[in-house]
Amino acid sequence: MSYATLSLKQSPHFSVPMRYYLSAPLFTMAAAVILLWKGPDALVSRWIPSLLAMTHFLTLGFLAMVMFGSVQQILPVLMGSPVPRPRLVSRTIHGLMSVGILLLCSGFLSGQARLFQGAVIFLGAGSGLFIAVVAYCLIRAQSAHATVTATALAITALGITVSLGLYLAAGYGWTAIPQSHLLTNLHLAWGLSGWVALLIIGVSYQVIPMFHVTPDYPRLVTRWLSKLLFLGLVAWTIASLMVHQASWTAGLAAVCLAIYALATLNLKRRRRRRLSDVTLDYWQLAAASLLAAVLCWTAEQLIPGLTIPPVLLGILWVVGFAMSAISGMLHKIAPFIIWLQLNNHRQIQGRIQGKIPTMKQIIPEAWARWQLRLHTAALGLLLGAALWPEALTYPAALALFLAAALLWWNLVSATRLCLKLTRRQQTEY
Amino acid sequence: MDVSDLEPPAPLVDTLEAAETLASGEYLRMVHRRDPCLLRDHLNQRGFGYITRSQEEGCVQTFIWRRGDAEAEAAARAVDKENSA
Repeated sequence: MSYATLSLKQSPHFSVPMRYYLSAPLFTMAAAVILLWKGPDALVSRWIPSLLAMTHFLTLGFLAMVMFGSVQQILPVLMGSPVPRPRLVSRTIHGLMSVGILLLCSGFLSGQARLFQGAVIFLGAGSGLFIAVVAYCLIRAQSAHATVTATALAITALGITVSLGLYLAAGYGWTAIPQSHLLTNLHLAWGLSGWVALLIIGVSYQVIPMFHVTPDYPRLVTRWLSKLLFLGLVAWTIASLMVHQASWTAGLAAVCLAIYALATLNLKRRRRRRLSDVTLDYWQLAAASLLAAVLCWTAEQLIPGLTIPPVLLGILWVVGFAMSAISGMLHKIAPFIIWLQLNNHRQIQGRIQGKIPTMKQIIPEAWARWQLRLHTAALGLLLGAALWPEALTYPAALALFLAAALLWWNLVSATRLCLKLTRRQQTEY
Repeated sequence: MDVSDLEPPAPLVDTLEAAETLASGEYLRMVHRRDPCLLRDHLNQRGFGYITRSQEEGCVQTFIWRRGDAEAEAAARAVDKENSA
């Protein structure tokens, strides 16, 4: 059995991850507003500034925000290594990142160099502090299971992604800095296949068997997959820097991602409880999107003359794989963190009486299911809009906005319930 | 009581509810797929004694009794000893 020993007593105050969770959907809404504002032209090419602004609202604003918050939660709970001064660190990183994301995306939309200069400073400080804190905690970690390894590799990948990203953003802010498409591709690959995929993979080793009562991932997968994926990215990077046009060398990374997607789909099939579970449906959508992205990429490499629009691949990856997995986890982990907060609070007060709401009372299943429907509709429409932008861009943007708004509402309602019950516990005590 | 097919936090909540119904001389045998880490503090706080032991892979057994109930404790320890032999 590969379960990590949980240290739930070390769980930080729920505001530590929750501030990130609550702001993440707002950035997705901002991305949807840009798409509504700019219309079909925004999806024509991956190099259009408004698409770059949208992409960074999704990758930095949504994905990185949730992942930064979650890592600060799992360091003490899964790895037995609490973040020093957790509330101050959480507030500081969150503030720096929020300002940095707004500056960067405003920079893409307006083209003003000063905004990029500000973004470099704030995003550099926020990510730098996050990487330093996580590296410090990982060195002190008392566990050495597969999630620790995957997290360490993900943080290394984040370091590479951030370094390249800051350099590229500096190119917009200070004209003397040379730019290249190769560096942008490396930034993208290390961000999406490195940082995002490695962290989701590592966390799923714990949360899918624990929350969905499935068997563990196969031991070969947990032992080797994250290391081979990282190695695949290193091989592709070296080949790209030396040979250029060496995209076939990313084959090892693609195989790793396909194996992970298939293993995840297989776990759902083999689960012990056959009850309907909305989070597991998000995982299924995430794994299917990842597999589709890898198959599209492979087909493009193997079939001469076939061109898959890069925007389509990006949507499959970011919205289909990463946002589906993260939205699903939010609907499971946020209620659990709130339940834990109420439970710990009651225990500290020495109380044993009084009921705590169940997870499904904290975020009702029906609301989570509606969010999944809207998210799936947004994914389908965005994929369609990548092929037929004139017809589908506006419905896609609207669906993306509504899905993010409902996710935000689900998280806000859960937080308000937690605050209300905490106040009541204090009054009754 | 087998809680190994339940997702968190149901194993904790259901076990505590069942433990509260224990009468004099009775103990509760709970089977879970993992170490019930949060349960211990709750049991200590609520005045229960317990033994936790890992059986085969993916099966952790916990015996619970009311602290001070010597008959229930002796019976639980005897069954635990028998199982672990």
